[in-house]
Amino acid sequence: MKEISELRLPEDLFYSDDHEWVQKTGDTVKIGISDYAQDQMGDIVFVEMPEVGDTFVKGDEFGTLESVKAVSEAFIPISGEVIAINEALEDAPELVNEDPYASWIIEVKPSVEVEFDGLLSRDKYLELLQG
Amino acid sequence: MQIEQLGTTPYHRAYDYQMKLLKRLHEDDKKDDVCLLLEHPAVFTLGRNASPENIHVPKAFLHKKGIHVIQIERGGEVTYHGPGQIVCYPIINLRRNKLRIVDYVHTLEQIMLEVVLHFGIKAKRDCRNPGIWVGDSKLGSIGIAVRHGISYHGLALNVNPDLKPFDWVSPCGLDGVTMTSMEQELQQALTLKKVESVMIEQINRLFRRTIN
Repeated sequence: MKEISELRLPEDLFYSDDHEWVQKTGDTVKIGISDYAQDQMGDIVFVEMPEVGDTFVKGDEFGTLESVKAVSEAFIPISGEVIAINEALEDAPELVNEDPYASWIIEVKPSVEVEFDGLLSRDKYLELLQG
Repeated sequence: MQIEQLGTTPYHRAYDYQMKLLKRLHEDDKKDDVCLLLEHPAVFTLGRNASPENIHVPKAFLHKKGIHVIQIERGGEVTYHGPGQIVCYPIINLRRNKLRIVDYVHTLEQIMLEVVLHFGIKAKRDCRNPGIWVGDSKLGSIGIAVRHGISYHGLALNVNPDLKPFDWVSPCGLDGVTMTSMEQELQQALTLKKVESVMIEQINRLFRRTIN
């Protein structure tokens, strides 16, 4: 397991306490899992994603990541409609391990003014990891 | 960590109880991790990626035998559970215990390896297929899921189950995999109770290193 100091945690992202990251890109946000989360899971062999057009409420399960013989459920940190999924992960789920920040999982159009309130800055997220 | 021995428990009841414990651990960080030990009445479970063609017998046949087929959310394919198999469901806050999923699965395998070794069986891992193996036969299976950093589902060790139902499916989606049991390997009778008490010792020993 990586030491906390070895984790890559970009400054320009928001993080959830379930270890997803959120990046604002214009009117939409991209969502993926953090370096901590991918390291925790080990080699990811399958990423199950929602359909474009699905809508979710903050806290809903939006997909799963499967590693070894474990299924990890991913929970959406903001409410909204899925406008794109990262299809590259269907054929190459290992991309999430290789670069968890380039490998976004879904792109969402938030249904309300983006609820960044409940999300964590890089420093707050680091505090959470340090426990 | 608390260990609860539930005895024979229907699949759905055990599942609901796991969900209850998971919710409790998620809502209250200070709650203890719990390890459930039990036996299921005969049941086939289909993982998220299971294809129905991995069950090779008609539904009516299973119905006649009183075996249910249940769709669940863990990884993997088709699994059989039944009397004579020790099932262990650890509900552990992996995050709090700083346990990686790969290391957690490794520990579950280690528990089974130590238990069967205690009775004189040398089993091994196969890095491509979680579980424990004697030659090309599978003696113990693993299938886990993680929600909010907390594990559920777990392991199943064949002590002395009827091995026939395994032939009615492609276990774990692998064709040509045969299942074995501790009794078959040892060619002598074993009680579940005896194996379960050794498993409790190993759970306490192996998880004590990693779990507070």
